[in-house]
Amino acid sequence: MRYALLLMGAPYSHQASHSALRFAQAVVARGHRLEAVFFYHDGVQNAARLAAPPQDEPHLVDAWVSLHREHDVALQVCIAAALRRGLMDRREAERHGKSGHSLAAPFELTGLGQLVDLGLRCDRLVTFGP
Amino acid sequence: MSETPTADLLVILRHGPHGTSWLREGLDAALVAAAFGREVSLLFMGEGVTALLPGQGPGALGQKGSSATLEMLEMYDIRTLLVEEQALADFGLQVDDMRLTVIPLSTTGVADALKDHRLILTF
Amino acid sequence: MLLHIVNRSPATSQVYRQALEGMGQDDRLLLIEDGVQGALPQLVRYYDGLQGRLFALKEDLASRGLLGRCDGEVQVVDVDGFVALTEEAERTVSWY
Repeated sequence: MRYALLLMGAPYSHQASHSALRFAQAVVARGHRLEAVFFYHDGVQNAARLAAPPQDEPHLVDAWVSLHREHDVALQVCIAAALRRGLMDRREAERHGKSGHSLAAPFELTGLGQLVDLGLRCDRLVTFGP
Repeated sequence: MSETPTADLLVILRHGPHGTSWLREGLDAALVAAAFGREVSLLFMGEGVTALLPGQGPGALGQKGSSATLEMLEMYDIRTLLVEEQALADFGLQVDDMRLTVIPLSTTGVADALKDHRLILTF
Repeated sequence: MLLHIVNRSPATSQVYRQALEGMGQDDRLLLIEDGVQGALPQLVRYYDGLQGRLFALKEDLASRGLLGRCDGEVQVVDVDGFVALTEEAERTVSWY
């Protein structure tokens, strides 16, 4: 089956990110195709390039990046929710005259249309809220 | 056992304006889906029914509420506005208090509405 | 059949009421995160009438020290079982 996840909880504030990652790994382990994780609401913070958790805690941003690398899972971040919360890639940073970018690669800024498309195109969309 | 859903997207709104961004971000998802030609219904549950009260204004520092967005629903062809009857009762409100035309749903009506949509997003 | 997912405790949140209201007669309910508190015998009464359709996530029970304390009516599933539940359901609805 084709799966997509919607994550709306901020990392380290709520369990949602851990739950979503654990579920993502189980989806892949059962032989499904996980097409994308869409980050919305405070979930966009999962894409923070500058996140630096203590070494004895799971590094959630790195874990998402690994999921992308190992299983070709797209990491799509709602651009409107991200910009409001100070998360932007190089291009947006330039456009807004900011001195640095804050979005980790390969997270990509995209619109809500992508979320709707994913939800209707995939066999299952599972939401993880805060 | 499986009934085929007839509509594309049900957006469940469970928060009032101003306190959090849930209402605004939920409505944004609904508008975008509608703009892409999807058939969208809204279901106001719990505190979400207060989003439909008339007379709302800006918040602190001119914070935009969701009042203007709600006015745009018809323009986006979002006409199915469902309201949890129990929530109206919990807040002491009537259907007539709502500023837009809504369809009140009993408990079984809520479950049926969920079954009737291909995709459900809760905010 | 839809799978409803609740991550809040019925002891502190009204979210369980919304989930119950959204549930059809065949629908299933999975408790995750703090929601697993609802599997305790003293709290499972909030989910009266869901016999055979009520599940709780093993990993979240275990990490909270609640694994041996579930009511007998609750079916405990691990995360692999969570995915299986989503396969069996036509769609999922999250209540948080």
